[in-house]
Amino acid sequence: MSTTTENPVAAARRAGRNALDESAGKQLLALHGIKVPQSRVATSVADVDTVISGLQMPVVVKVMSPDILHKSDAGGVKINLRSAADVKAAIEDMLKAPKIKGARIEGFLIEEMAPAGHELVIGGLRDPQFGPLVMVGLGGIFVEILKDVSFRLCPISRIDAEEMLAELKGAAILNGARGTKPASLDAIIDVLLKVGGENGLLLQHATDISEADINPLIVSESAAVAVDARFILG
Amino acid sequence: MTITEEFTPLFAPQTVAVVGASTKGNALPNVFIRRIREFGFTGDIYPIHPGATEIDGLPAYKSLADTPKPVDYAYIAVSGAQIPAMLAAAKGHVRFAQVVSSGFGEVEEGKNLQADLADAARAGGMRLLGPNCLGIYTPRGRVTFTEIGPKEVGPVGIVSQSGGLGTDIIRRGLSRGLKFSGLVTVGNCADVTPSDLLEFYIADPQTKVIGMYIETAKDGRRLFNILRNAKAAKPVVILKGGRTQQGLAAAASHTGSLAGDDRVWVALARQTGCMLVDTLDNFIDTLLIFQTLTPRPQRPTQSVVLFGNGGGTSVLATDYYARLNLDVMPFAQSVIDALAELKLPPGTSITNPVDCPVGTLQQEDGRVAEKILDIIYAQGQPEALVMHLNLSAFVGRTKPEVLDNLVAAAMRVQEKHPGKAHFILVLRSDGEPALEARKREFRDKAVTLGVPVYDEMANAGHPLAALASFERFKATRA
Repeated sequence: MSTTTENPVAAARRAGRNALDESAGKQLLALHGIKVPQSRVATSVADVDTVISGLQMPVVVKVMSPDILHKSDAGGVKINLRSAADVKAAIEDMLKAPKIKGARIEGFLIEEMAPAGHELVIGGLRDPQFGPLVMVGLGGIFVEILKDVSFRLCPISRIDAEEMLAELKGAAILNGARGTKPASLDAIIDVLLKVGGENGLLLQHATDISEADINPLIVSESAAVAVDARFILG
Repeated sequence: MTITEEFTPLFAPQTVAVVGASTKGNALPNVFIRRIREFGFTGDIYPIHPGATEIDGLPAYKSLADTPKPVDYAYIAVSGAQIPAMLAAAKGHVRFAQVVSSGFGEVEEGKNLQADLADAARAGGMRLLGPNCLGIYTPRGRVTFTEIGPKEVGPVGIVSQSGGLGTDIIRRGLSRGLKFSGLVTVGNCADVTPSDLLEFYIADPQTKVIGMYIETAKDGRRLFNILRNAKAAKPVVILKGGRTQQGLAAAASHTGSLAGDDRVWVALARQTGCMLVDTLDNFIDTLLIFQTLTPRPQRPTQSVVLFGNGGGTSVLATDYYARLNLDVMPFAQSVIDALAELKLPPGTSITNPVDCPVGTLQQEDGRVAEKILDIIYAQGQPEALVMHLNLSAFVGRTKPEVLDNLVAAAMRVQEKHPGKAHFILVLRSDGEPALEARKREFRDKAVTLGVPVYDEMANAGHPLAALASFERFKATRA
């Protein structure tokens, strides 16, 4: 992760990029008070012992490369690693993968794994006439196949955020169904307000961000963690 | 200048200029002159003509800058290309110009001309309505583009991006008892947008409910901000064209720009309390309920009592209203007991829905309805009551005055229990001409007394659900 204090949106703009990469996206979320997994970057296997010391096991390792768009498909994501030795072995494996071998590699993102929970998606979209919109949906098939999502115009109020969740067809699942634990609605509403509220991320960067996608947001009984995030600039 | 002051010359002009009237007296602007005279316009009318000295008996002037007094409202219907120069030459002498001519932004080759038109209006110091619209209907100012329209000023303020639909709203609204504070067609919205008129109607003391037909909202963010800041002070009903992909394509070719996506409009409604409707009928039905009934946020509508003849109709309506999130719940035993004491004939159902066959309703020549309604009002605590009469079922079975008595009884009950429940009348008929005539007569009387009248139970259900949602929004948000 970048050590500069410059806003990641401004930094990406200055570098002429049209999107924030995962690390910059999470940095932006963290700046807005949204929980992201603790992470460190190792540039090689030799770095692992030093960078890993502050992290809680288990961790996940993701390859960082401008040449690789779909990290999982390329074999560039290894999860559930419980020791420095596991992490080193994972990196060595990755370096042998055909789609990674020849790519430019900027490093390896070592990230704490989010505790188990409900998967949600929180997104943003800039409408040409109405400006920023914020969206929430349940993850996986609910978003992709059933399109069970709810939109609001930014800024949203707390009541708006509550109503967004209530109008999802799958809303009952969040309260805990079929033996699953409930998700913290307060934690989801908190993220929705930080993204789409009065001083939220989308309005603050309304001229720069055309699309945003926090997918998944993992929500447990007590917390919501943004595990992956993507921002399109323009 | 307040928004009310700014738009007063449009809604109540003292001087009207007309561009495009011919000396032969047969062009559309000649018709406009005739219409506003018939409508009772008493201010000055200035025909503008390059050569003529007199048109329709009025002195004509060479340009918009040459009239004796400044022009509050100019109606312009000549070929598009000559209009920008005309407006630019007005030099602050015109307040509102309405360009009804087409051939501007709604077609590819007219886009530049529309930009020129907007620039010219700005340079000429006026606000521009249109182009590609039909005109205004403003009973307070006695100006209208329509052949018919009530002269009485009412509470319904309309802005329409379609001129033809604007005419439909006035004509159909008239037959349903709607009374308007104004109707403005804005076409391509080169300058004045629906948001501007929304702002005016919100501030206008004459307007109680606002209706908007919108195809595109180029200033969507402003529309959102106006609605949000208004905190549902007045009900706003939006008939949105172009909410589906197919509709969007039709809208793009109609008005010349892309409409927002449907989900934006749904969000807008949820966040601001405005109400979205899909059809012209539903639009008029919803405006009518807000014209006649006063929203009651302190006790939002949830439970509805149905009373009338037609068992199947009651059952279907109960289902339909449940889908609209309105409850038709059985009465408490005390209400049933009180109704039982009336000893109504067999076949009468005295729980909610209250189903009274013609045989019951014709008791005491129809005056029995008053007794039933009194009990329901006094003991049933309804938030809304829908009384439905199938007029066809009375034909050949009762004296003609039975129906009169039933309707009169319903009206009297309103006076006895003011503000107790929202009261709606549904008059059903099979379309037989004599029956339709009677229905119309009842309807006019009822709407005048503040009772909205609908043709079917479903038609009444949608506006009632809209009223309920507006009341809930105000109760929780405003």
